[in-house]
Amino acid sequence: MADQKTLPPGLREFSLAGKTALVIGAEHPAGGVAAITLAEAGANVMLAAQDVGAEEALGLAAKAAQATGVKAVVRMQRAAIRADLAATADRAVKDLGGLDILVTALDTPLYAPFEATDDSAYDRVMDENFKSVWMAYQEVGRVMLNRGGGSIVTISHVMAERGVPNAALYCAAQGAVRNLVRAAALEWARRNLRINLLECGWIEEPGSPALAPGEFGERLVKYLPYRRLLKPEEIAGALLYLASPASSFVTGEAVAVDGGLLCRV
Amino acid sequence: MILDRFKLDGKVAIITGGGRGLDRAMAVRFANCGADIVAAARTLDQLNETKALVEAAGRKCQIVPTDVGRSAEVNAMVAAAIKEFGRVDVMVNNAGIGEDSFGKSIDQITDDEWRRGMDVNLSSQFFCARAVIPHMLKAGHGKIINVASGYGLRGGKHNYMYACSKGAVLQLTRSLALTYAENNIQTNCIVPGIFPHNEAMMKFFKGGKFIPIGRPGNDEDVGPLAVFLAAEASNHINGELIIIDGGGLAGGVIPTGVAPGNPA
Repeated sequence: MADQKTLPPGLREFSLAGKTALVIGAEHPAGGVAAITLAEAGANVMLAAQDVGAEEALGLAAKAAQATGVKAVVRMQRAAIRADLAATADRAVKDLGGLDILVTALDTPLYAPFEATDDSAYDRVMDENFKSVWMAYQEVGRVMLNRGGGSIVTISHVMAERGVPNAALYCAAQGAVRNLVRAAALEWARRNLRINLLECGWIEEPGSPALAPGEFGERLVKYLPYRRLLKPEEIAGALLYLASPASSFVTGEAVAVDGGLLCRV
Repeated sequence: MILDRFKLDGKVAIITGGGRGLDRAMAVRFANCGADIVAAARTLDQLNETKALVEAAGRKCQIVPTDVGRSAEVNAMVAAAIKEFGRVDVMVNNAGIGEDSFGKSIDQITDDEWRRGMDVNLSSQFFCARAVIPHMLKAGHGKIINVASGYGLRGGKHNYMYACSKGAVLQLTRSLALTYAENNIQTNCIVPGIFPHNEAMMKFFKGGKFIPIGRPGNDEDVGPLAVFLAAEASNHINGELIIIDGGGLAGGVIPTGVAPGNPA
């Protein structure tokens, strides 16, 4: 936990001392970074994961969060199941004493030619990338509204803003999340509950097509303004800015952490 | 530790603007995060108060009288900052005019008003970037923060010079960002919504009641964002427009305060 006594007075709004955060998707690299970042800034954290087999990654992230001196608890749930989300939100309040911050890091891509994607691909991509976020806003948002509001940050991808071949469904789901953030933010703007998006550039993480051998990864890296992939921990600053009272006049917006990639197009 | 990466200890920031609004809030905030300040403006009356506030926070403040719309004066200002501190880590291009000048019909606006507005709001940002970039290249790092406006993204009735100059600032941001991405110089843009700086503006914007969040911005809202963009915590953010407007640009296709329902 941050030593509040040595915190410069100019950073007071960035401190999360006494706050409670729920991170859904903490088994993903970006979600794990989010949990540790919030803990470092002083928040007690619940790390929720949905992937079977994610327990190990989750446990490591929880340990790192606990090492900062805050309370960190883990929870396994299914992301697009309403009853699970409602129970997760209740548990966060019960176990940690509040719920001021929600981070969703549920982004799960699918790369396949458009005409080859079938109905089951549609259901999976929309459930994992859009329905899960929509439902989390409803179920966790309800609890946050009842408790006086807070801040929601959804971690997504710059593909929310542009099209990419072989990723039509994923781009559509990301675009849906982008505009959900705008509309839901407007409804909750006067109830002290803010929602913003953190759009990542191409992250260095297992399973990324950018790391697969071949032409795509090689040409992509040369195209990126920084000539390298984004490390998950490089989203920490934007995550803390959006999650904390430092951004209290920002809602319905997106901040891209992409080294300038969106300037190109 | 993430909070350490927001600190500005030992950094030097040039901030343009006459000490009336955002610039003072940013200067004091930067000082409270450990930075020394160079304040550059043409009108100096209120900069002494900024200087006192920065010094009360335990940091140095150099005031350099500058007409930022004139490149020779900008070059001299940056040279003075380098002479005093030996470095410029952060350049905040905030100076601007005309935020309260809407309402004049197009035939009433003189060539001089148009040109002076473009000089102060747009050219100044180009001149300042041009003057600091060689120093940032030499140092191997730098942060340029341009201040635009929601009017850089939307039109306004009788709003010409202001909307055009602020829109161009977004483009200046993007091109600087791409050009110096590999030199560890990040250029980003703060896009404030309605921040009334006097009673007339507050009246013109009806107290901000049409802003989704329910209030207008105040200068203190921008301080933490400026710190974030000046600090190491934002090193992978580049060419980004960060909109700080209480939800204004998230909506806009219906009036604030009402919502459509299904017909009976």
